Amino acid sequence: MKRELPFVLVFIFGMFMLLQYFVPHEKSEWVYEFFLAWTIIIGIFALALGIWSLFKVSVDKIKMHRPGWGYSYVTLAGLFVMIAFGFTKRNGDAWGLYHLWWILGLLCLGAIMQVRAETNTGRKKMYFVVSLVLLAATVAISIFDNTWSFHFYTSEGLENTLFRNFFDYIMIPILSTMFALLAFFIASAAYRAFRARNLMATLLLFAALLVMSRFNPWIPGAEYVAKASTWLMNVPNLAAQRAIVMGIGLGVIATALKVILGIERGYMGKG
Amino acid sequence: MKRTTVLVMVGAIVIFGISWVLKSMSLTSTTDHYIAKGFAITFAAFLTLCIFSFLYKDNPFYKFAEHLFVGVSAAFWMSMGFWSTIVGNLIPRVSETLSNYFKVPYHPESYNPFYFLPVFLGILLLLRLSRKVGWVSRWPLAFIVGTTAGFNFIRYLRSDFIEQVSATFVPLLVDWQGIGHFFSNLSLSSTGQFVAMLSNWVIFFGVLCGIIYFFFSKEHKGVFGGASKIGIWILMITFGASFGYTVMGRISLLVGRITFLFKDWLSLIS
Amino acid sequence: MALYKWFFVLGFIFCLCGMATAQESGVPPDSANIDTISQSIPPPAPVTDLQAFDTRNDHGHSITLKWKKSADDGAGNNSVIGYEIYTWEPNMVDSMAQLRSEIDQVRAAIYGGKKTGEDLKKKIRTLKDQYDILLEQLTVAHAGYPEGGEWRLVDKVPAGTETYVHLGSKEKLAEGYIPDYTDLYYRVDALTADSVVKTPSVVVGPVQCYGQWFNTEQVPVLITVILFGVLILYFVMLARKGKEIYVRPIGGIEAVDDAIGRATEMGKPILYVLGLGSVSDVATIAAFTILQRVAKKVAEYQTDLIVPTYDPIVMSVAQDVVKSAYYDAGRADTYKEDSVFFVTQSQFAYVAAVNGIMLRDLPATNVYMGKFYAESLLLAETGALAGSIQISGTDEIAQMPFFIVACDYTLIGEELYAASAYLGREPILLGSLKAQDYAKAAIIILSILGIIATVLGFTWFTEFFHVTS
Repeated sequence: MKRELPFVLVFIFGMFMLLQYFVPHEKSEWVYEFFLAWTIIIGIFALALGIWSLFKVSVDKIKMHRPGWGYSYVTLAGLFVMIAFGFTKRNGDAWGLYHLWWILGLLCLGAIMQVRAETNTGRKKMYFVVSLVLLAATVAISIFDNTWSFHFYTSEGLENTLFRNFFDYIMIPILSTMFALLAFFIASAAYRAFRARNLMATLLLFAALLVMSRFNPWIPGAEYVAKASTWLMNVPNLAAQRAIVMGIGLGVIATALKVILGIERGYMGKG
Repeated sequence: MKRTTVLVMVGAIVIFGISWVLKSMSLTSTTDHYIAKGFAITFAAFLTLCIFSFLYKDNPFYKFAEHLFVGVSAAFWMSMGFWSTIVGNLIPRVSETLSNYFKVPYHPESYNPFYFLPVFLGILLLLRLSRKVGWVSRWPLAFIVGTTAGFNFIRYLRSDFIEQVSATFVPLLVDWQGIGHFFSNLSLSSTGQFVAMLSNWVIFFGVLCGIIYFFFSKEHKGVFGGASKIGIWILMITFGASFGYTVMGRISLLVGRITFLFKDWLSLIS
Repeated sequence: MALYKWFFVLGFIFCLCGMATAQESGVPPDSANIDTISQSIPPPAPVTDLQAFDTRNDHGHSITLKWKKSADDGAGNNSVIGYEIYTWEPNMVDSMAQLRSEIDQVRAAIYGGKKTGEDLKKKIRTLKDQYDILLEQLTVAHAGYPEGGEWRLVDKVPAGTETYVHLGSKEKLAEGYIPDYTDLYYRVDALTADSVVKTPSVVVGPVQCYGQWFNTEQVPVLITVILFGVLILYFVMLARKGKEIYVRPIGGIEAVDDAIGRATEMGKPILYVLGLGSVSDVATIAAFTILQRVAKKVAEYQTDLIVPTYDPIVMSVAQDVVKSAYYDAGRADTYKEDSVFFVTQSQFAYVAAVNGIMLRDLPATNVYMGKFYAESLLLAETGALAGSIQISGTDEIAQMPFFIVACDYTLIGEELYAASAYLGREPILLGSLKAQDYAKAAIIILSILGIIATVLGFTWFTEFFHVTS
């Protein structure tokens, strides 16, 4: 049962979704829409698993003093601060002791990590005491400071200016810069193709150069280059894309069918 | 720590400080929170440069930005997912008490007890943390894999198979009025009969050779091997074309970041 | 007797029509006489052969109308500029619309003010109950035609049109809701440039709409499903019986074993990147099967495996897969829990972290399998710069060029799916590859037949493949 039931479930749900396509009736649509909504909801529960994994890997790294363990503090700090911001919000115009609260909270977290990582008993005790003091201070601020409050029951934490600022001034710059790195990487990739001396790479490079120079008015015969690159995009490109797409289609449907029928089982663990 | 590392760190902190002060001063007239805003913009620029520094080599600045990004983004998506999916979508459908607790409008008309099932499956998924009953977590996985396999089966069959086959039915003789007419009107004009026919022939044989390349259970030898070779050439030309096509887009992304550094941070360009 | 009935019906329609047009032009109904109002345009000929029937192959709540255009549409007096579609509705639909708008208002109050006050909730419940009662009476009211209701405009269509699909909503609380299994009546008026000069058609009805249990338009798809399924099962059975199946060498797959050996010699780990796909993506499923083989080899060779993941469910499955592979290799004791871990569900944060791993742990081999988007080049270039052997496979066409340029081996599209069968050399999985090849042969034959059919002008052949959604 442990081993077979999941495959039976895969078969039942897979066959349902497959046959549902041929049944336009409202009732079949209703179940179909339901199933799609379910997968999203289950996914959110899985996110908790993910966060737990990230937390555990980071903590283990600190505990074992693996290379670069210090940076795991940064990850944990980012994680906890952002979660804290997502569930707290300022009540009035002033922040009160809010900043002190989250900074002390972070220090407390750091001290707890040190207690776990430390091998020297004396220092372990010291970190323990420090973490207790910091914890007490953090709790005290959250109880007595009324300038901000927890929002476990409304999504107002998401409107917290610090939550927004972390998104705007940390996530966005890094994200767009990572994306922008592609400009350099595409150049180095082109150089790599240029160095590879075989027919395949030459064909690839030739086509790439032709398409790249389609907007360049200074090259001789610019008009013909533009036309040729358009033809390349519309004709051979279309043919190859179609061949690839059909191949992928076949691969996907064969794999999906094997999954539904329980022939392909590599994705499901044993034991 | 090496002396150079310390020097670079100190240098970075000093430059950061100077930038913060200067940026804050330049913002005094535009915002009340100029110190915080100055810090935020400087920090964003610092992170931008941290990531760019990766082009040189892996270094502590990049590591810092990377680890910070991982932590912050994981929490960000968790918070968003919790509020939008669990609280926003699920709770109003399953429980009035919980809707009241989370202060979200309860939809009595869309109440649906079946929504307890994904919650149950979600909880089963969490059970994988337990060594004893972890195997139960395969049930929700089976549900997801099964439904999506069935869904994808049909989707790809239609879009990537049947529709593509029908799209390959191109006329090989375009506007055919006899061989004499064809040769007397031979031209390289992109709207001419010759180019139109050539394109259709290339599409037809290109698709054919491409498909032949993907044959797995037959040895690629003789005519079959030749067709397969043409197939891979056409694939390579396509990949080249699509590579070249992407370059411009990527460069514009870089321009965007450079604009941020020189305009928003350094205010060197307006 | 029958003739008398028809006169009555037609007369009734003309009266209604006269009343409606008179009301539009502000003239009292009793003085409604189209001919006296407008002498300039003579009334056009009505549409003929009007038919109304349930829209086929749908979920119900929709009626299709077909007619032959008026003799004055594009011919005759050429006076028809379009048609108006009317349906007969009982008067109670007004009360229903009123209730709907009240429900919307209460909802807006709840959403807007974030109030969850008991009174509002009670009110919405009461309104909904009232609405449900009316909804139950709707079918009976429709059956009472022509008493207690009136003709209402559904839509206007331009001249030359000969079909119209009255597509209703299936949501009971939505405005255009059309109930199933209810008698409906329709009429099409031919319009002229003068808004009051129009000629109604005869009334068609009663007609009922309902959902179908089988979509006959999708028969080609069903045939393909059955054929392909049979083909796969046949070859799988054949392979099970022990028939030898040849599979041509695929560069990227052959390289996997060598790459693991190389990693072992160098004492460096293997990085396996599953991309941004979720378990919903079949490419990710194929990537899991490849991961299983890789993990088994890794376990046998006692090399380290690093699997950073982007999706938490993918992480769960990958953990299971790797763990099972270690069990299969008889090395369960060496399995490390944290070899498969979650990074974050943010595309570029994931890339940043994986790039970091590549430069710090310096894996001997990087394997990228699954769905990849813009990050493909960032990952593959970093790996190439770090000097790792790189093997990739994806079904994202846009990313293939980048992998081809930056990786040593790339599985293009279908090769990724073939790889999962090929790596294990399990006969039953190889059997499906043979089936795929037969399907490709079928595509080639169909394409050639299609071309011939196009040349010969056999449109039925090509149309068979144009599957509508």
